[in-house]
Amino acid sequence: MIRFESERITLFGLESQLGDSEFGVMAGGQRAQWKGFLKFGEVSCGAALYTAASTSDRISFNMINKASGNKVNRIYVDSETEDPVPREDQVKGFEIDNGQYLQIDPEEIAATIPESNKTLSVEAFIPCDEIDDVYFDKPYYLTPDKMGGDAFVALRDAMRKSKVAAVARAVLFRRMRTVLIRPHGKGLIATTLNYDYEVRSSAKAFEEMPKLKIEGEMLDLAKHIISTKKGEFDPATFNDRYETALAELVKAKIEGKALPKPKKVEVSKPNDLLAALRESAGLLASGANGKSKATRTAANANQGSSGKAARGTASKAAPSSRSTSHRKAS
Amino acid sequence: MAPYRWKGYLKLSLVTCPVSMTSATSESEKVRFHTLNKSTGNRVVSQYVDSVTGKPVKDENEAKGYARGENDYVILTDDDLDRVTLDTVKTIDIEKFVPAESIEWVYLEKPNYLMPDDPVGNEAFAVIRDAMKSDGVVGVSKLVMGRRERAVILEPRGEGIVLWSLRFGDEVRPEEKYFDDIEDESDPDLVPLVQKLIKQQTSHWSPDMVSDPIQESLLKLIEEKKKALRPKKSAKGKTSEASPKSNVVNIMDALKKSVAEELKSRKAG
Repeated sequence: MIRFESERITLFGLESQLGDSEFGVMAGGQRAQWKGFLKFGEVSCGAALYTAASTSDRISFNMINKASGNKVNRIYVDSETEDPVPREDQVKGFEIDNGQYLQIDPEEIAATIPESNKTLSVEAFIPCDEIDDVYFDKPYYLTPDKMGGDAFVALRDAMRKSKVAAVARAVLFRRMRTVLIRPHGKGLIATTLNYDYEVRSSAKAFEEMPKLKIEGEMLDLAKHIISTKKGEFDPATFNDRYETALAELVKAKIEGKALPKPKKVEVSKPNDLLAALRESAGLLASGANGKSKATRTAANANQGSSGKAARGTASKAAPSSRSTSHRKAS
Repeated sequence: MAPYRWKGYLKLSLVTCPVSMTSATSESEKVRFHTLNKSTGNRVVSQYVDSVTGKPVKDENEAKGYARGENDYVILTDDDLDRVTLDTVKTIDIEKFVPAESIEWVYLEKPNYLMPDDPVGNEAFAVIRDAMKSDGVVGVSKLVMGRRERAVILEPRGEGIVLWSLRFGDEVRPEEKYFDDIEDESDPDLVPLVQKLIKQQTSHWSPDMVSDPIQESLLKLIEEKKKALRPKKSAKGKTSEASPKSNVVNIMDALKKSVAEELKSRKAG
């Protein structure tokens, strides 16, 4: 099969590990992705960015030629002549009209890498509750250098007290990027934001949906169900079961067993919705008492002491402060 | 890359409704670059060839192989893969609810928009959404996405629900390594001053804050270029060989200029 290789604009090279890391700055044995200055008002302090999250591998399959059972290799060929094109002859271009392309030499691309002023300058502060998180791209830990500590911690604590995040811009990883900076523990996290044209707004995505507002018994029942399922969640403790499940599937296939049919899912009919909610609420009320020993959530612990906790009170008693929620005993 | 699209079910206890989901982010608006063969000017395309015979592989013979041993693969079809015995392939069963602010942002991986896929589920969907909204909680569940089972959170927003996939524990680097040397205490005289500055510079969130000056000028220039090329071509046929080269240079100059201007205007503002 022939595939057209089209590279989305990574105009200035990939946002790679190489980014601006020629600084070779280390903190706690880690390499900084970027080093420069954090500037707010007339204050500027030395600062560095470190990758906060990496992507771990998912299961990858090999591409196989079914006819021969051999692995396949990917080669790059000229679309007209079908001759292989050596790496050094592959250049970037963009399509200006159907079938018409402009070539760009790597040197020219290198020449356009914006001159970075090495400054992450804060342009505005925005109230935390106004942040549209669907723009979030990648998080980086932002830390001060030895001289910049005072200004850094003052900014951190002032932002925390004022309940704001900072919007800053910088030439980062060879693009003009916007980052959102907010306090996190003793430091700051700078999250790169996706560009406006990369994000569909939720308002637009949901605009066709019917406007329904649920009130009365249905809402009360659903809230009651929620109250019995309230707890804490630490994403760090989550386990991916996919690999195990896939290994079982492969085993079944090798042994020639029939693969399990996907279970049919029964959808609640509008007429039965209220009944389903009532039944769920009933089931959960009796189930919660039996389960309270196993699930050690604070909400259930409270229920235990007050017997059959009235709905609502149990949920209000559940701790909602951030500090408790991620210091989970396990 | 086509935007992520998924159809399945949303479930709370005994209430189940059909839903569909699309990713909130998309690369379709980005300016595309292609790979060209320098010596012919033609597009470069990729082709699969048999690793032993070297011959091109037909579309219908391309298959996914799970490595059982060296050079020994079990072929899996997409249909097979759908049969993985995890309910989380097709159903988002909300197991737990947590306070909306309790999930650290650093765990948020990718946002998706979840909505009813059939009018039959409109009301059930709205019940789940509105109950979360009125309680200030988000739902916690899991879902198979891209050959991994991921923890996800469901957050009511407007008429719909935003579903975030969460990063795995081993994907988030421990902050202690980076933040250990930072002071706990700040200067009590400095903080009020910074808060004053914050007050002066507080503004409202706007998508203008995430514009991309480089892409904007690229689009403009490509547009100009198309206009400039068309009449020439029709009037004189093959005109100048040199023109693309000079246009390329112009684009690069303009890009550089736009970035410089952007930096300047940001500084000034």
